[in-house]
Amino acid sequence: MSRAVIPIAMQLAALAAALALPAFVGANSYALFVATQLGIYIIAAIGLNLLAGYAGQVSLGHAAFVAIGAYSVALLTVDHHWPFWAAAVVGMVLAAGLGVLAALPAFRLSTWYFAFITLAFALVFEKMIVEWRWLTKGFAGVVSVPPPSAFGYEFGPRPLYYTIVAVTVVAFILVRNVVHSRFGRAFVAVRDVEPAALAVGASPQRTKLVAFVISAALAGVAGAFFAVQKTVVTPDDFTADFSIFFLLTVVLGGLGTLWGPIIGALVFFLIPELLAGLQSWRMLIYGGMLLGLMLFAPHGLYGALRQAWRRMAPANPGANAAASEAREHPPIAGLALDITGLRKQFGGVQALDAVDLSVPAGSCCAIVGPNGSGKTTLLNLASGYYVPDAGSVKIGDVEALGSGAQKIAARGVGRTFQTPRLIADLTALDNVMLGAYTRERAGLLATALRLPSARAETRRLRQEALGFLQFVGVADRADVEAGEIPHGQQRLIEIARAMMGGARLILLDEPAAGLSMSELERLERLIMRICGLGATIVIVEHHLDLVANVASHVTVLDRGVVLAAGKPSAVFNDERVMRAYMGDRALKAGVPA
Amino acid sequence: MDIDVLAHGIVAGSLYALVAVSFNILYRPTNVFNFAQGELVMLGAMIFASLTSLAGMPWLVAFAATLITVGCIGLIEERIAVAPILARSQTGTGWVITTLATSLIISNFVGRFWGPDPILVKPPALLSMESLDILSSRISSYEIALILVTLVLVLIVERIYRTLKGKAVMAVAEDREAALLRGIDPGSLGRWSFFLGAAFAAMTGILASPVLYASTSLGPDLLLKGFAAAAVGSIGNNRGALIAGYVIGVTEAVGASLLSPGYQEAVIFIVVLAVLLLKPEGLFGSPNARTV
Repeated sequence: MSRAVIPIAMQLAALAAALALPAFVGANSYALFVATQLGIYIIAAIGLNLLAGYAGQVSLGHAAFVAIGAYSVALLTVDHHWPFWAAAVVGMVLAAGLGVLAALPAFRLSTWYFAFITLAFALVFEKMIVEWRWLTKGFAGVVSVPPPSAFGYEFGPRPLYYTIVAVTVVAFILVRNVVHSRFGRAFVAVRDVEPAALAVGASPQRTKLVAFVISAALAGVAGAFFAVQKTVVTPDDFTADFSIFFLLTVVLGGLGTLWGPIIGALVFFLIPELLAGLQSWRMLIYGGMLLGLMLFAPHGLYGALRQAWRRMAPANPGANAAASEAREHPPIAGLALDITGLRKQFGGVQALDAVDLSVPAGSCCAIVGPNGSGKTTLLNLASGYYVPDAGSVKIGDVEALGSGAQKIAARGVGRTFQTPRLIADLTALDNVMLGAYTRERAGLLATALRLPSARAETRRLRQEALGFLQFVGVADRADVEAGEIPHGQQRLIEIARAMMGGARLILLDEPAAGLSMSELERLERLIMRICGLGATIVIVEHHLDLVANVASHVTVLDRGVVLAAGKPSAVFNDERVMRAYMGDRALKAGVPA
Repeated sequence: MDIDVLAHGIVAGSLYALVAVSFNILYRPTNVFNFAQGELVMLGAMIFASLTSLAGMPWLVAFAATLITVGCIGLIEERIAVAPILARSQTGTGWVITTLATSLIISNFVGRFWGPDPILVKPPALLSMESLDILSSRISSYEIALILVTLVLVLIVERIYRTLKGKAVMAVAEDREAALLRGIDPGSLGRWSFFLGAAFAAMTGILASPVLYASTSLGPDLLLKGFAAAAVGSIGNNRGALIAGYVIGVTEAVGASLLSPGYQEAVIFIVVLAVLLLKPEGLFGSPNARTV
């Protein structure tokens, strides 16, 4: 995803420094206290970064989830004498559970609903802590929370510090594993290009939910340690300012970068010392910093570091390209597409009116027609992006009508878009691997723990993805971020992504648009090769030479109705088609096809 | 149910509806939901209170001055915190954070400048905050006027959307590039909508100030309740916002009288969640088709 900016040696040095710290400071020193607190904040910030940075869901109420963990531990250990560890697990589960309950409606809606709902949740939760005095002891808070203990041994400040360092490292590694897996790719896809997530069969709702559950659970864990470290838990600890503080930590370090939350928290802990005299201006400064960072350094300090690093040590792409070898691709069992009586209306415009289309398995069928004739609408209906008003869409022998786009994708329907929808921040290889989202079997737990089965699967899919990149002829771009790849090659990568998903029916939306002559030839050969493997292809295209060469069947749409259908040679010589599609002049001059 | 509770619910609900309409004005052409909107309302109330109560300016002059000032602040927000972010990416992460940052800056700046004490604002001439005792409810003449003015304002805003300019706004909300091709400048509409949305927010603050006093605590409160009204009434739908505003206001008043005032926010929160769970697009909207 990103080239190693902080080399292994530096990572180990940071860890060694964290582990060595207690040897240099007293057990009850302020330095150790602050370092412990720093670890707790980093745990929560790592979670928030996964949510806001990778999945693009900004939580403005993260303090509430920390509060749930803290109160769970404080109340269960003080009032009910539970052991810390059991109470911490309850805190973690409650933070995730209550959070999901509140945020559930937001996942179906735009990002900012989530921000508002978490903001409101934190506000309501803060009020409820005060209101439910019988449970939470109101403003006075819960006092003298006992330290954790294990095997009859009570944790002092030093063991507590080591425990938190260990938890931080574990959290970091788990999140890193998730980010580098299919889940991480889906997070970024949902954040940046939701249609692409749907096209590979990743449900945006579920993807956001996964990110949020992990994030809230980590906040709960942080809260559990917060309670034992401070030994006092009061409503004042979890104000809106605290949520803003977490957000700023992550933005400062770098949204969507693994080291961002750690760098952000470290820097943040130095700032208050420097700004001690400006305490009353604090929130104003926070606001100014948030604004300035988002405008001038959207990837925070880590992003700035990365840029500087790249300038000094340019990457060497092609490392992956050499590793792969040409392979024969196994045949694909194409899926038939049968559309009957399809209708779709947008406001007062009848975009499609009783359209029939029959594509036998393994054939290549083209849909042509003037702009606005409903070609793309037809593709969007067939792939589940729109819901039709009437009609039937059969894929294979299964009625697909009413299934969501990601369900249809999972059934073996791949598609490309008029403008390539690649995820600009991911490499070409990662974009293709994203295609395999529904085929990957490793669950979240196996992925987070990097179990051997998950690793073997990733390795296998990586090879396969490289194979597909080679198949479409852009293997040399495997390690380049998609945003930096020329338009024509992006189209090819999108086709590779569709094939990677095990697509047996591939819908291509104007694949030739904006291609150069040589790219066009490559595309033509590629489509014929895919068809040769047995896949069914439906191609919407203006480029009639291409259509005449690859398609065995052509359907002409005009203003939402089928004007003609049949073999390309017959259809292109149909007088009505020529008039509708190419104008009267073409009738006199003759047809290129 | 006590009629008094209902009346005060409607008064509060009118204010929430106005905040929701100010959200909508801004949202329609830009697809940005301004997190600083609550602070713009607060700023309107504070500036107006200072100009009338402290500087003794005539009502109408202060009214106009406040609207223009806050409108310009909205415009500055658009130029600095929104337009550059939208130019980079249309996805939500960026502008949620920058408009939130704007709200922090405004609220803390106002807090430093004016201090935490609420300022009493008198209603305009002929109206007063004295209770009238109509139908055994202790509603004042100003509050009745507020309910009527809200109704009129919502109708006026709806009328404007039916004009050519209004249709252009809708076109941009629908498809930025297509609107551009038809000679509509989304950039200029975005600037205007921030100016007008901020001015409308300021007006809401002015109208609210005799009832709620002008203080820095107005911002966060009205932000969330305005959001609740906008979301329940379907984003972009002003009549929906009006009805949803009433629903929220009355629910809140009833909830507070039945339970305890501490439950106000919780009750609203649960209503909003329930509505969004059952009808994600709100009570008065239709689900939009995504374009690819």
